Amino acid sequence: MQTIHGIAKLCSLQNSLADYLMPSSKVISIKDLSCTRGDNQLFDAVNFSVGLGQCLHVTGPNGCGKTSLLRLIAGINFAEHGEISWNSKDTANNSDFHRECAYIAHKEGLKNELTSIENLRYYQQLDSGVDEVALDDILDKMGILKCADLLAQQLSFGQRRRLSFARLLIADFTLWILDEPFTGIDTSGRNLIESLCVEHLENDGMIIMTHHQSLVDSPLNQYRSELTLGHA
Amino acid sequence: MSNKGARVSNKGARASNKPINTLSLYFQREWQLMFRNTSSLIQPLVFFVIIALLFPFSLPAEGELLQRIGGGVIWVSAVLATMLSLESMFHSDYQDGTLEQMLIHPRSLSLAMLGKALAHWTATGLILTLFSPVLCVTFNIPNEQIWVLFAGLLLGTPSLSLIGAIGAALTVTLRRGGVLIAIVILPLYIPILIFGAGMLTQSAQGLEVASQLYALAAILALSITLAPFAIAGALRVTIN
Repeated sequence: MQTIHGIAKLCSLQNSLADYLMPSSKVISIKDLSCTRGDNQLFDAVNFSVGLGQCLHVTGPNGCGKTSLLRLIAGINFAEHGEISWNSKDTANNSDFHRECAYIAHKEGLKNELTSIENLRYYQQLDSGVDEVALDDILDKMGILKCADLLAQQLSFGQRRRLSFARLLIADFTLWILDEPFTGIDTSGRNLIESLCVEHLENDGMIIMTHHQSLVDSPLNQYRSELTLGHA
Repeated sequence: MSNKGARVSNKGARASNKPINTLSLYFQREWQLMFRNTSSLIQPLVFFVIIALLFPFSLPAEGELLQRIGGGVIWVSAVLATMLSLESMFHSDYQDGTLEQMLIHPRSLSLAMLGKALAHWTATGLILTLFSPVLCVTFNIPNEQIWVLFAGLLLGTPSLSLIGAIGAALTVTLRRGGVLIAIVILPLYIPILIFGAGMLTQSAQGLEVASQLYALAAILALSITLAPFAIAGALRVTIN
């Protein structure tokens, strides 16, 4: 009995050593995932895995379940069939995973009653991320420093999008899950987000995103693999 | 490589999610939001006062009758005023996506919900309780009973907010969930109402009210410990 215990201990030690020596072992993998909404099956038997420095681009026609897939991965919805694992551990109730994962969607998670900087500070306190001073730098980087003290309801749609993306820079998330990141944003904003994504991928991050247009001309293309849902 | 080092150290800093920090963070944020939107602070109190004052107008003007029913009327008004404010408890969080972010955050959702419910109580139940002696005077309730009512409301209203939040969580995705919250939650309020209003009848007859106070305290202890998990579970199921 003790020997088994010893071996198990050794194995776990070896695993943690491997994690320490090879941080590139981080991976999110999806096996046999399917999703139904009511009686309507959106997708079935989806399999993929994304490792560090990789970007998965989910495409497909409207209503094929792109957003549903992202919500399943982020952990907002539960998967009925299939498994989603982070470093070979199930992502459900896995706080290690949720600590390293950021999800940005159409609903920005911003409070209209608060100013830009207050909205950002809330996430900074929640994530215990960067310090207070860095918030200004982040707003500056996103090109909305001049709106720091404006209420979120006074911001334009594009500015709100930029503010919601500022959240990604607050703490050190490994996995970015982005639902249509370029919607409602101008060309310079798009370039900015693309360059942030590239920088993130270069720093051993990973991205899973949906976008209805082709990304062949985008600087993201070299990191990109594509997953097409539905009968496109 | 230096970049990797920064990553690791940063993660260490983020791991210190103490429960009390989570609780106070959400509590403070709720208050910050309520101060920006003062109608949510004033509405329940105004509603409470108006409902309670409708009774003297609609009942025969016998001083003793009002005195006898006054306590019960104030309790029912407090329940209705809490009810009214429940619908908005998660609504804006759901609309703007904050709720989704709470669901997937590594910090405990139950603690976050406890913080929210306690903030809701301080903004509704506590304010109503503090204002209740004024209403007691209009109902001509004797002084010693004012204290009984005050103590009962102080122990009972936090349970109203905590239990009500479960109903609010269950109906958050519905467009007009207000009526449904009332149907789901009002039956659960009955025990609190029985003990709270019962205290006044007892004390009017010169009997001890300690047993009712203990019962209210027991309900509060149960709802503080269990309701946060129920709220969190209800949200996970309804948002799914």
